[in-house]
Amino acid sequence: MERREALRLMGAASVFSVLSSDLFAATLRAQLAANKGSAPRTLSPAQNEIVVAMSDIMIPATDTPGAKTATVNEFIDLILTEWATEEEKKIFLEGLAETDRKTNALFGHGFTAASAKEQTAIVQAFDEELAASRNEELPKQAHPWELTLLLPFFAQMRRLTLVGYYTSPIGQDQELKVEIIPGALHGCVPAEPEVKQ
Amino acid sequence: MSSVKKPETYDAIIIGSGMTGGWAAKELTEKGLKVLVLEAGRPIEPDRDYVEHVPISEMKFRGMNDRRETLKNQPIQRTCYACDEWASKFFVNDTENPYTTDPEKPFAWIRGRQVGGKSIMWARQSYRWSDLDFEANARDGNGADWPIRYADIEPWYNYVEDFAGITGQAEGLPQLPDGHFLPPMEMNCAEIAVKEAIARQFGRERVMTIGRAAILTQTHNGRAPCHYCGPCHRGCITRSYFSSVNATLPVAEKTGRLTLRPYSVVHSLIFDPQTRRVTGVKVIDGQTHKALEFQGRIIFVCASTLESTRILLNSATPEFSTGLANSSGVLGKNLMDHIMGGGADGIIPGFLDRVQFGNRPNGIYVPRFRNVSSKEKNFLRGYAYQGQAEREGWERGIHQSGFGESFKNSLRRPGPWKMTFHGFGECLPNPANFVEIDKERVDAWGVPVLKIHCEWRDNEKALLHDMMIQAAEMLTAAGAVEIQPYEPNNPPGLTIHEMGTARMGADPKKSVLNKHNQAHDVKNLFMTDGACMASSSCVNPSLTYMALTARACDYAVSQMKKGEL
Repeated sequence: MERREALRLMGAASVFSVLSSDLFAATLRAQLAANKGSAPRTLSPAQNEIVVAMSDIMIPATDTPGAKTATVNEFIDLILTEWATEEEKKIFLEGLAETDRKTNALFGHGFTAASAKEQTAIVQAFDEELAASRNEELPKQAHPWELTLLLPFFAQMRRLTLVGYYTSPIGQDQELKVEIIPGALHGCVPAEPEVKQ
Repeated sequence: MSSVKKPETYDAIIIGSGMTGGWAAKELTEKGLKVLVLEAGRPIEPDRDYVEHVPISEMKFRGMNDRRETLKNQPIQRTCYACDEWASKFFVNDTENPYTTDPEKPFAWIRGRQVGGKSIMWARQSYRWSDLDFEANARDGNGADWPIRYADIEPWYNYVEDFAGITGQAEGLPQLPDGHFLPPMEMNCAEIAVKEAIARQFGRERVMTIGRAAILTQTHNGRAPCHYCGPCHRGCITRSYFSSVNATLPVAEKTGRLTLRPYSVVHSLIFDPQTRRVTGVKVIDGQTHKALEFQGRIIFVCASTLESTRILLNSATPEFSTGLANSSGVLGKNLMDHIMGGGADGIIPGFLDRVQFGNRPNGIYVPRFRNVSSKEKNFLRGYAYQGQAEREGWERGIHQSGFGESFKNSLRRPGPWKMTFHGFGECLPNPANFVEIDKERVDAWGVPVLKIHCEWRDNEKALLHDMMIQAAEMLTAAGAVEIQPYEPNNPPGLTIHEMGTARMGADPKKSVLNKHNQAHDVKNLFMTDGACMASSSCVNPSLTYMALTARACDYAVSQMKKGEL
């Protein structure tokens, strides 16, 4: 059901309230926009380029835009600047340096200068390394539910890329087609036909 | 809802505007009383404050919460699942609202200070207690016997359900009486399969039913049905779930007899030893910090379990040196909360061509089956499960391997069905779990704070362990794979079902309140929130608080009319 149709069914009085919520959202949007497009605050231009390239290899453009268009790099810079601990940030920035070292060792130049095929090989190596270490004991946490980035670099990168992409307007509206107001509940209905792979 | 007038004397003062304060406001104003509601926190305007439809893409930290801010100002509140990036504004600032505990015995005191209190963020599960609960203390000798039985409260369950609107499915179980239900919400494919498997294995001993919740599945008393957006704890602009802001306070407001005063932090009650009545309330203005006084003929303390008891403890007089209305000495004692979270999850194979449409703000429920007809060797009383099945979302990709186009395409589709059971276990009343005033600390308004002494004991721990085993057993019966059992070490308080500390009872020497929630020692003083509970059941308590409040209001007004109050 279209959101507008759902609102119509909910009655006129409610619509005003939704508009107010929209107003709240618009205010937030304006605040976010104020930060948009400005230079990254934690990542250097070179580090930022690695993040852009790597995130877009992980979630590329398909029939919907990928991580680069969804500006996942800006989300990652925000998290490093206003959310992460110093220790978590250090792991991430060191991971970017390691990315360049790995690429240099294999291909004789840095990650952003590498071809798409070379970059994919590097990401593949990180992914296999992480998979191999998944069964190892994670750092002890006071609260198991606590969201932490005290993780190996590529686990950080993986989490932040996925969160940054799937919670972006592109991820929510185009990729996942999330409906904020479904307007009905049906417990067990046929899934929509499989998308073309 | 924010008319502020300089008060004369009110017929009734209600402290708190949440679940029970809202009910008291509705009942007393409808019965003709001129009522003042004192709320410690700020006003709530749904159009301005509710945020349930704000998309995650509009949130600055995309649902990861403002970690630094909450670590600084809400280190306790943030441990509650509902204190998320949208709804954290409905939870208190812990630095302004301190309390203390024994260092090795944490207690998570989760609080909401605003008009509506925690009724804004509550989980809406609404179940009747039964005589299995009301007779529990008498049967095994823990705590003091309840002064009421199911027959006393049944008409009041009917009454509050008819107003609030409770969705649910009648099951005819003696341990979980059916109510006046609105149509049930649908179970999804995997839940139906699990329900049928449990029925095959356990017969009528274990029954899985759809959750009973204070959410409208059809238009009810002028409120619109649920539109299935999901996150009720962020508010509801269609007022489809029950809260005082959505339901009771607007009715009280319409009578023209309600004065609602936000920013009114109650310091203590004023007791007159001559008349042996409370005559009024000492208040600190939340914004100006000015001391104020309000007068009332009767006073309903509905500030939440521990805040209500704190007010009485802070109202000590020469006669009641350990707290007002505490001739019994049990004020502050027998704090309880449900021990929560023992359980398991597992993947239910199949149904991959089926989905659930709509975000159902309600789960499934497995009523208590331990010590109902059986008699367990390892523990007294029992537990119930809440849970749900859902298809995993894109988040599963965080813990998988792979990347690129095929990975992205795989995450576009939902993952397998995962079924979860988590238990809620009864906590025995124990006088060694208690609160007192910490003489060393005051809050941001200069009001002395609580020191909370509470820990899980052997019976609760045995329940938690059994919850885990039996959840895994039910999943096994349902053919689940990758079953993960758990037995988490949650601190008491985190379930937010804190109860007791001013219990009801027939004997004034052993209880604070009588069978009408009226203080034995002070006839015009009533407490109807969780503080009054003599035992904890394993059943979610809010519906019982509502029923007890409406019942106490009826009694109080009838006594006033007879000239007894």
